[in-house]
Amino acid sequence: MVEILEETKGKDGRKILKVAKENLIALLSELKSQGYNHLSLITGVDRKDRLEVVYHLHNMAENKYIVVKTETFDERVPSATSLFSSANWDEREQYDLMGIVFEGHPNLKRMFLPENWVGHPLRKNYDLSKVQYINMDENGEDYATFDPGDGW
Amino acid sequence: MNVLLRLQHFFAPLGHYASYVLAYFFETLFLVIFVMVVLIAMIYLFRKYMARLQLRIGPNRVGKFGLLQLIADSLKLVGKESILPSGRDDLPFRIAPVIVFMGLVMAFALLPYGSFYWIGSLTVTHSEVSLLLLFAAIAIMPIGEVLAGISSKNKYAIIGALRGVAKDISFEVPMMVSVLALVVMASARTQDPLDLSSLVSAQFIPFAIPQVIGLGVFFIAMVARASYSPFDMSESDSELVSGHSTEYTGMRFGMFYMGLFGSIFLGSMMVSILYLGAYNGPYDSYAGFIYLLIKTLILVFISFTIWLTVPRIRIDKFVNMGWKYLLPVSFANLILAGVLTLGLGI
Amino acid sequence: MNAPQSIPENAKWVELNFGPQHPSTHGVLRLRAKLEGEIVRELEPIIGYLHRNAEKICELDYYCDAMIYFDRMDYVGAMNMEVGYLEAAEKLLGIPPPERAQWIRVIMAELNRIASHLVWAGAFGLDIGMLTPFFYCFVEREKILRIFAEACGSRQETNYMSIGGVYQDFNEKIIYMIEEFINQFPKKLEDIFNAFVKNDIFISRNKGIGILEPEVAIDYGVTGPMLRASGVEYDVRKAEPYLVYDKLNFDIPVSYKKDNLARFLVRFEEMRQSIKILKQAIKKIPDGPYFNPKAKKSLMIRLRGEGEVYARTESSKGEFGVYLVGDGGVKPYRVRVRSPTFKNLSVLPVLAKDQMIADMIAISGTIDLVFGEVDR
Repeated sequence: MVEILEETKGKDGRKILKVAKENLIALLSELKSQGYNHLSLITGVDRKDRLEVVYHLHNMAENKYIVVKTETFDERVPSATSLFSSANWDEREQYDLMGIVFEGHPNLKRMFLPENWVGHPLRKNYDLSKVQYINMDENGEDYATFDPGDGW
Repeated sequence: MNVLLRLQHFFAPLGHYASYVLAYFFETLFLVIFVMVVLIAMIYLFRKYMARLQLRIGPNRVGKFGLLQLIADSLKLVGKESILPSGRDDLPFRIAPVIVFMGLVMAFALLPYGSFYWIGSLTVTHSEVSLLLLFAAIAIMPIGEVLAGISSKNKYAIIGALRGVAKDISFEVPMMVSVLALVVMASARTQDPLDLSSLVSAQFIPFAIPQVIGLGVFFIAMVARASYSPFDMSESDSELVSGHSTEYTGMRFGMFYMGLFGSIFLGSMMVSILYLGAYNGPYDSYAGFIYLLIKTLILVFISFTIWLTVPRIRIDKFVNMGWKYLLPVSFANLILAGVLTLGLGI
Repeated sequence: MNAPQSIPENAKWVELNFGPQHPSTHGVLRLRAKLEGEIVRELEPIIGYLHRNAEKICELDYYCDAMIYFDRMDYVGAMNMEVGYLEAAEKLLGIPPPERAQWIRVIMAELNRIASHLVWAGAFGLDIGMLTPFFYCFVEREKILRIFAEACGSRQETNYMSIGGVYQDFNEKIIYMIEEFINQFPKKLEDIFNAFVKNDIFISRNKGIGILEPEVAIDYGVTGPMLRASGVEYDVRKAEPYLVYDKLNFDIPVSYKKDNLARFLVRFEEMRQSIKILKQAIKKIPDGPYFNPKAKKSLMIRLRGEGEVYARTESSKGEFGVYLVGDGGVKPYRVRVRSPTFKNLSVLPVLAKDQMIADMIAISGTIDLVFGEVDR
């Protein structure tokens, strides 16, 4: 049995399990063996002093839903790609926008923004006044710079 | 009486050689003007017909009923900037549209057009092997398309050119075999069955009736040659941008476009001449050319309807069809033609 | 391109870029394909060309203002997006809509589902080379867009619903237009259906292509018509009914053939089921208020929400979920959108492996890509 830190109910009536990040993969594989085979959503929430990662799991055969939460203080969380293939693109997106590094992900690079974008936009301490401009170089790769250059 | 002699009589006051030189010049000029008029009319009819099938109206602003739309489009294309990609292979890139267009005009020059009232026979070329010359001329057009694809330094164009090569090779042979069956049937009645005019006069019923299978094979091959749906995979819009003509702009692209519509008209005209009795019709008249035009226009509208209603075939299924189905069928047709001619004396 | 130092082991594979600008594909998708002749060996979709980071912008606006960004996500099915967001926001703020507003929302959502599937059908025909059914689909869609314009003034990004109800009530003219549409649409739908299905080349292009096994689909998070065409009976309207779907009588089309043709047939059958829902709903609308007085205009910007809510609805593309976290303020703390097309697109490299280019284009046509929703 995996140690669960806390079990609550959200405002929409769904059961929320809170777990430490070292036990995360064990809990997810136990839930997968109980029939929760659809990982619907991975969310990162920036709670200013820590980063929270929320997993929504769904059991299609019996129509049950469960939410798993974990938190990290150093922005690293183990990756769930080995269990669920839908975690691949979701984790890339949360790395891109929130800056959470998923250890064990096969291909962790940015999803929406170019590779050399500075910062992670969904953080609460992201500076919205600094504007970065995206262009395409001769090799067909997108890049981001701070200076507008001629085109803007 | 034919066009050449009428023109020569017109220029006779200038002397013998001068009148003949001027007559040849103007005959060629009238042929080119005829081809251009035919192309413009075809594209206009296509745009109006396509619009009506798609519940819209089509061009109706430039001139009454949009008749001047094509002239406006041609002027626009001529005025465009000539953009040449930097990595191109220069000479093939520039010649390729010209090859396509010249092949088209040459093919139009070899067809027998029938007679038209006072002018007499409208046929421009009189040769004993005009069938062979015609197929040689229409074989020039795919060379232009492949040259265009390979000399643009563009992966889409190369894939389009490769698909074009596969398509042409697969359909050349069944087409030739079905025309061979026609020659077999005509050689029982005339001395030179390779002359298109005698091929036409050798039919006492149009060849479509004993050679229905050959008509089907030939029509499919003509659709494939002209590259419109269902066989337009060498320029499929959503896959390969524009296939072999991706890097062409302005009037160079206009020549490929005209090559497409010219091939449709040419294919329909060839089917009418070879299978549907060309310029013969129910009433014996001096205007056989009108019968030819009517038959061609009916086939052109059938081709347009097929173009607009049918999706595109995948390239490997298409090549399959050419080698595994059309070729044996056209050989069976050839044997049938031999049996009908020698055995039953038709 | 960098010149290779030695001959790499994929030396015979051509790398071709179906770039973000491409005629008649569904939007700004960039596919980097490694081709061997005509066969696709590896496929990597690169997205992000329409990324507007709506999740961040919604954190800077009030709850009622954040809804307009949802319209612009799936711009062909905007009403479904609004329903999705409002399910979450109304649970978080504690402001349920009245009966009449719920029936109006169901009618608008089903009309928009039909409009979205008509756009998909026309664009799918264009992908394979059929030029004409596109126009017939868009003529029908035009009638739906006129209903929307009559109801709220805008055809596509409608912004019709608001927290606690809808923006304007139905009048006699709108009900008449909807009834007229329902009466003439089934026959037109059969015409369009026959134009596709009675065409042998269309069937041979789509039968047996792009087989998606149900285990792979559930593993990648695929939902919606793509999943139902692989044999899994899952529709959020039946699994977790929201609005008034539990009072309506309709079926869910499921196919067990798993190929392109199955996905095509499932979507057409969904359109017929939507007409069935509309016929029942337009008769059963009750009278009453169309918005909740706790959320009238003067109070709307002072609504506060605390806690976290995840609400899922069935948009035309699949399961659309909105996860809202509120911290007691007037603006949301975190908005997270579960976009169905994002997950559906992630299964494309698996489906298109070892297929020809023409098949890859047909498969990506059946996924029903709308890039406002993939990139948000």
